[in-house]
Amino acid sequence: MTRTRNSRTPKKRPTGRVRALLGWALKLSLVGLVVIAGFAVYLDATVQEKFSGKRWTIPAKVYARPLELFVGQKLSKEDFLTELDALGYRRETSASGPGAASVNGNTIDINTRGFQFYEGMEPAQFVRVRFSGDYVAGLAGANGGKLDVVRLEPLMIGGIYPKNLEDRILIKIDQVPPYLLETLIATEDRDFYSHFGVSPKSIARAIWVNTSSGAMRQGGSTLTQQLVKNFFLTNERSLSRKLTEAMMSVLLEVHYEKREILEAYLNEVFVGQDGQRAVHGFGLASQFFFSQPLQELKLHQIALLVGMVKGPSYYNPRRHPERALQRRNLVLDLLVEQGVATQEVVDAAKKMPLGVTKRGSLADSSFPAFLDLVKRQLRQDYRDEDLTEEGLRIFTSFDPILQMKAETAMSETFKRLSGRKGADEVESAMVVTNPETGEVQALIGSRLAGFAGFNRALDAVRPIGSLVKPSVYLTALEQPSKYTLTTWVQDEPFSVKGADGQVWRPQNYDRRAHGTIYLYQGLANSLNLSTAKLGLEVGVPNVIKTIGRLGVQVDWPAFPAMLLGAGGMSPMQVANMFQTIANGGFNTPMRGIRSVLTAEGEPLKRYPFQIQQTFDPGAIYLVQNAMQRVMREGTGRSVYNVLPSSLTLAGKTGTSNDSRDSWFSGFSQDLLAVVWLGRDDNGKTPFTGATGALQVWTSFMKKADPLPLDMPQPDNVVQAWIDPHTGQGSDASCPGAVQMPYIRGSEPPAGAACGGEQNPAESVMDWVKGWMN
Amino acid sequence: MNKWWIPALTAVAVLHGCASVPRGNIPVVDSGTRVSNSERVSAKRPSAYPTSGGSNQAQSLPEDSGVTVMIPQGSGGAPISTTPISTGPITPGPVSSGPISTNPNPVADEPFDIASMSSAPAATQAPTGIPRSNSGGLSADEQLDGPVLALLTTAQQQQSSGDFNGASSSLERAQRIAPREPQVLFRLAQVRLSQGDAAQSEQLARRALTYANGRPDLQAQLWNTIAQAREKQGDSAGAALARQKARVNL
Repeated sequence: MTRTRNSRTPKKRPTGRVRALLGWALKLSLVGLVVIAGFAVYLDATVQEKFSGKRWTIPAKVYARPLELFVGQKLSKEDFLTELDALGYRRETSASGPGAASVNGNTIDINTRGFQFYEGMEPAQFVRVRFSGDYVAGLAGANGGKLDVVRLEPLMIGGIYPKNLEDRILIKIDQVPPYLLETLIATEDRDFYSHFGVSPKSIARAIWVNTSSGAMRQGGSTLTQQLVKNFFLTNERSLSRKLTEAMMSVLLEVHYEKREILEAYLNEVFVGQDGQRAVHGFGLASQFFFSQPLQELKLHQIALLVGMVKGPSYYNPRRHPERALQRRNLVLDLLVEQGVATQEVVDAAKKMPLGVTKRGSLADSSFPAFLDLVKRQLRQDYRDEDLTEEGLRIFTSFDPILQMKAETAMSETFKRLSGRKGADEVESAMVVTNPETGEVQALIGSRLAGFAGFNRALDAVRPIGSLVKPSVYLTALEQPSKYTLTTWVQDEPFSVKGADGQVWRPQNYDRRAHGTIYLYQGLANSLNLSTAKLGLEVGVPNVIKTIGRLGVQVDWPAFPAMLLGAGGMSPMQVANMFQTIANGGFNTPMRGIRSVLTAEGEPLKRYPFQIQQTFDPGAIYLVQNAMQRVMREGTGRSVYNVLPSSLTLAGKTGTSNDSRDSWFSGFSQDLLAVVWLGRDDNGKTPFTGATGALQVWTSFMKKADPLPLDMPQPDNVVQAWIDPHTGQGSDASCPGAVQMPYIRGSEPPAGAACGGEQNPAESVMDWVKGWMN
Repeated sequence: MNKWWIPALTAVAVLHGCASVPRGNIPVVDSGTRVSNSERVSAKRPSAYPTSGGSNQAQSLPEDSGVTVMIPQGSGGAPISTTPISTGPITPGPVSSGPISTNPNPVADEPFDIASMSSAPAATQAPTGIPRSNSGGLSADEQLDGPVLALLTTAQQQQSSGDFNGASSSLERAQRIAPREPQVLFRLAQVRLSQGDAAQSEQLARRALTYANGRPDLQAQLWNTIAQAREKQGDSAGAALARQKARVNL
């Protein structure tokens, strides 16, 4: 093009040469035209090729579990409101339209948004939820009719991003809220509907405005040009790029309708940066800033988003709220100026706050540890491109409310324990699952919540210490002819010579021997001597087999030290092991994903609930009983300083050598949590299992308020009255008699009834007791 | 809802028939005979279901040893762990030996020793051989909560239209709401069976049985599901035993 213009300059030269020059010029300009035409053809092909068909690749979206509502559900009003806030429900005086909520005492009215789930569509509907205490007491629909069960739409907790980290939520132009298109056009390109891709009028106006004000205040680019620039070209600033942009804009307008161009613009526009992720399109921007679907945005929110187009980081409402507010109001003024909205409407919108979600709130949090788990599970079934480009919808079991409670419990406990020397260097991990379904509900991979890095919940394989003990006792209790909970065992020093000739001399934590004790006491008080002795009796290889049946295949050598937890596991593996005990002897592979849908909402894959019975429920019942005693009378008893005694729990502390690892794993009926504290460099910590991990666990359980453990008694288990001092059979009428569970046939024979004051049995017992002592 | 009752009633009716007319089978009363504990831990079982035939154990009904569980085994499963009712004295107190002697109600309890995972406490159990009077249908259905019933109904519709994945998904939703409701697990076991996953079907039915104490009708249906699952896995002996259990439980 430049060449053609040059050819015109030597016009008024002597005629002799003029002709020749003109001939040359003609030829040159012909060549130029051919070149331009060729270039145009090339650009045209580029425009059409890139613009037809699939214009963007969409990263997979990962969703939390949808919150289910039904009468009798345990859910506090506060937790419900937290969820609603995270989902961007607007608080209104009366809930009107999807995404609105109104709170009235213990009753909350909402208009759900509807969502496509794996097994069907959940309709958008009005729901009135009535709370009583921490329970849902009533659930009614629009006409007051009773509703059985309602699902909220799930919270989006992240995506699986490709290397260029562009993310968007695609929207259709007929789904956009009122004012969006008008505001966009009024602000960015008021001649959009009349120009042909480039607008000389706008350019002239821009020049006029900029020269008269002496600053770059207005750009002359049309929306089409902006789209072309973002969609096809690089960010380079040069005349040739500008010309290419103009040509492509015209070509785009030739081939596509205004609405199509506008729709592409709505999805392409860059509106912000979220760490490494680039937020593109108004669909995602709406979720990113307001946690709401685009359709629900009101005028003041629309004006903010449109205003940000001019400078996404300069007008970032989270970082520069005042600037953003000014810009928003300027956009609103433009609307009055151009007759898009009335003065009253604009004035009302100007009174509204920016309304972006708060930092640190559920909607503005990231959950890297759980997303890491999801990605790992997905990579077993999908190629990376499928995950980053196909817009898959991944439905998980993640419970954001439990996650926030776990994170708060972790940070609060660390704050409380910060006085201890060396506490600052301690890292942590936590796994929260539902023992009845095997679903992972929350995951912490680092002491700093939201920190993406080494995922300790999955990857920190550390000695489990006394967490191994339940498997030793389970191995023994599977042989009721030899072992019951009240079998006498010796807690005395001993030594064994290993195959390698090394002598192994276990010691108790308190360095004392406890003499003759009941079998269960060894577990409850985490005694190393009696446990090691028992483990050697049942056989180290058998204990390792038991661990395998509990769901964790370990390659530990069958050394006696394994009986006291020298072998390593990750917190997730520990959760799997305890899950089998919590779930009555049925193992379930830990799952984080429920199902996968295509971008269009078609069912693609399900990750079904699977179980495998690997233990007699009777033996599990006995181990659970002993683990309940850990909490009532043993190393875990500090929980009941905080939690009500009516809350039956089972668990086990774990401490590795020199307190390098502080563990606690335990469960209620509906919640299992594993906490690990330790240093990345494997140094010493100031915490035992009880003083460290258990404190986090207790704090979490207090917040989560779970259901008490209540395993149905298997029919091969009987309850027998025994004398607590002798372990002999007793009777309910005898003072001090306690009930213990036994596998049927292994219980001591019932003792005589203790009627009235005359109690011959007691004297016998006393005699036995004296003899025992 | 209504569709639900039809198969349920049919099933109950059929079971009734089975219970009262022992087709060439040993009468239910004798079925238990002395079954040992059945606690059998097998060593290397390739998959979830019990190995075929009772060939591994000399004694009675090994297949129903619900108690014990399936550990992978290399086929021959020698009993590793002992039976719930052991003979030797146990510290600290001596233990009575025979299962019968310890049973307050030997006749009623007998079948439960066969497979200790079955249930129904002795107290609620009518003497075997006499069909339990049945008001018809799954009475327990009526006790279901609104949400669970609603989801079971949805699942039933999905299942009858051939959408087994959708049905599974609805049932797992119900399971999350009522994890200890055996009917949910029962329906899930049936869907798995329709999907051809007999091993999981049996496991789910077993899990349901641990929650079905005092619900003999449901127990019978669960045993029938286990029977079908074993049949599909080629374990006809185990299936027969499960069927027997189903009759005992009615």
